[in-house]
Amino acid sequence: MNYFQLFGLTPAFKVDLAQLSATYQRLQKTAHPDRFAHGSNQQQLLAVQTSALINDAYQTLKKPLRRAEYLLVERGTELANEQSTFADTHFLMHQMELREMLENIAEQDDRDAALFAARETLDCEYQKLFIELEQQLASDTEQQNNLAGDTLRKLKFYQKLQHELDRIEEQLFEN
Amino acid sequence: MALLQIAEPGQSAAPHEHRLAAGIDLGTTNSLIATVKSGLAETLADNQGHDILPSVVSYQTKHTLVGESAKQLAIADPHNTIVSVKRLIGRSKTDIEQKYPALPYQFVGDNNHPEIATQQGNKNPVQISADILKALVSRAEQNLAGELTGVVITVPAYFDDAQRQSTKDAATLAGVNVLRLLNEPTAAAVAYGLDSGQEGVIAVYDLGGGTFDISILRLTKGVFEVLATGGDSALGGDDFDLAIVDLLIARAGLQRPLSIQLERQLLQQACTAKELLSSQPSATVQLTLTDGQTWQTELSQQVVEQAIKPLVAKTLRACRRAIKDADVNLDDVVEVIMVGGSTRIPLVRNDVELYFKRTPLTTIDPDKVVAIGAAIQADILAGNKPDSDMLLLDVIPLSLGIETMGGLVEKIIPRNTTIPVAKAQEFTTFKDGQTAMAIHVLQGERELVQDCRSLARFELRGIPAMTAGAAHIRVTFKVDADGLLEVSAMEKSSKVASTIVVKPSFGLEEQQIAEMLTASMSNAEHDMQARMLREQQVEADRVIEAISSAIAADAALLSATEQRNISDALNTLQQTRLHGSVADIEQAITKLDTLTASFAERRMDASIRTALAGHSVDEI
Repeated sequence: MNYFQLFGLTPAFKVDLAQLSATYQRLQKTAHPDRFAHGSNQQQLLAVQTSALINDAYQTLKKPLRRAEYLLVERGTELANEQSTFADTHFLMHQMELREMLENIAEQDDRDAALFAARETLDCEYQKLFIELEQQLASDTEQQNNLAGDTLRKLKFYQKLQHELDRIEEQLFEN
Repeated sequence: MALLQIAEPGQSAAPHEHRLAAGIDLGTTNSLIATVKSGLAETLADNQGHDILPSVVSYQTKHTLVGESAKQLAIADPHNTIVSVKRLIGRSKTDIEQKYPALPYQFVGDNNHPEIATQQGNKNPVQISADILKALVSRAEQNLAGELTGVVITVPAYFDDAQRQSTKDAATLAGVNVLRLLNEPTAAAVAYGLDSGQEGVIAVYDLGGGTFDISILRLTKGVFEVLATGGDSALGGDDFDLAIVDLLIARAGLQRPLSIQLERQLLQQACTAKELLSSQPSATVQLTLTDGQTWQTELSQQVVEQAIKPLVAKTLRACRRAIKDADVNLDDVVEVIMVGGSTRIPLVRNDVELYFKRTPLTTIDPDKVVAIGAAIQADILAGNKPDSDMLLLDVIPLSLGIETMGGLVEKIIPRNTTIPVAKAQEFTTFKDGQTAMAIHVLQGERELVQDCRSLARFELRGIPAMTAGAAHIRVTFKVDADGLLEVSAMEKSSKVASTIVVKPSFGLEEQQIAEMLTASMSNAEHDMQARMLREQQVEADRVIEAISSAIAADAALLSATEQRNISDALNTLQQTRLHGSVADIEQAITKLDTLTASFAERRMDASIRTALAGHSVDEI
């Protein structure tokens, strides 16, 4: 049973998050180890296993990039290894510029404005790629799935930058 | 709502047996035990009418004192009287000495397994905690006139694996069955949540004697989903006391090192002054100095607030991080719950209110709220409320990872992942013919091994000899609903499950616990065997009940042959349970487990399908 089936869904990128969360709670009410706390060891072990599976499925389906990756793997699309080289030099150059932008925030006079601007830039470019990903995944052809794999990889770069920005913001706040 | 109770013909409609269960708040400063009586959770008092048991144990030559009587010896007999043992549990000697340089105890034992030398012999923190648990359990068993089936013990949400495991070990040593380790803030949310029926995002600010926790939860239809948790397992009211002690030392012109008695006196005076200042603008402190002279000073609320302000600010920074981790906005928070004695301090209440922009809830006694929540959960886990809709979904507070090349930590399960969780990672050999591999498990958020907490070291042995990189060793990390980690490993191509040698970095190994248990019994071998037999019989009862009710409900999922085989094995177990040895019963259970494994899975699948169809009872 794949994660979509476990949640009673047809495999697709678009997911109704409110419904997903409701299903999640219903499933956990059935399978959670707390339901078997006075049961036998066998029941408890099975509950831990099932409940862990439901948790992982929920986290995978809830987070868009993880969901996209899972969907592509289910469709049999070959995904590039994280360490393998990236052919799109233009994209890589731009990533370096963005990284520089983040590194310079601490030296700005108005850090709040710099943080805000950086957040805007990252969110906006992420959003653009995300819409591309949605379209590629919707068509579900081999060619589009391969393109979606590339887009997903790019989005992960942005996710890393967003985490980096969070870290910088945290640091500035602490000092 | 169940208005009619309908029983199938042939099925017993008798109200099922009420199992005695309790919730225990094993606190740094004080501990409590609570239970649900006729539907209401209440704390249980001792013969003198006190519900609060000071978490103090005093080891005298012939007897052990726990609670108020022990606390009274804290100044006169500091070496043998252990205060705030929770701060020592699951910690190394270095950790302890760095954090609390002025402790009066004499530590012995190796660095990772410190013990305290007392006139009754060496005591480790697990044993000391077990003595507190024993006192609470015996209070409850007297009060309820019966043996407890099980207890829920609360721990700070921010406790790491070593601290949780040690707490559970203490329960084993005290001879109590732990139904669940429950995070303190989650317990508090349960106590409040069921009262108000509130839905939405709630924040629990829990500042106890020695630990600080902040949890952000979402409450929907009886489900308490913890979104994020954060805090500091070494920040609490005790630190406020220490800050006031420093203030007093400076004022009195004293120079450290001071005598142990004076340190204890300063600490008690600081604590008393802090408590008084929660309700009055100033407090007088009086000390008897080593030369017998009395020294006195007046502390104003303002001066003390200045001393503790940085500590309060530290808690608010953790709140900010937790809100961010929970991926919610400050405005989404519909309720803030205050837990722990230290939240009585006006500055704390004030600053929390300013930060969350809403008046925190304090209607349930902050000292009792955790025990009450734990009691409610214990009642449900013991099976007394089969129709309850309540479910707690908690998270692990700190990331789990392993050491990789260059002293770096690779995270395998990130913090705030909902438990239970299982994650697998593949490793390979880097030398031809390599048959063993060492794995170092760590917990924490930092990147370097030295900055994280070492949980355990594993050696995988018996890997079949292959060329470098050919072996695929799958290491599975499993965190159960108590937040406890278990690691297993298997070489994939040969399906050989490698043997794992576990060396917990802190705390005790199973063997040591067994030894301590034996040592604590008067007629060691006989008592130990009686206990093991009793435990095995209890498990047999659970198995018999579980399988009988499973067959009663879902016999349709079984073929005639399966049903006959299971019935036979069930009869055998029933017989063995009465007269058999520990090994006989164990064998009969294993046989039944094997026979019913696929039945159990079919039942789980069926109930999941029912849940998916959305026809859960509450919605009809």
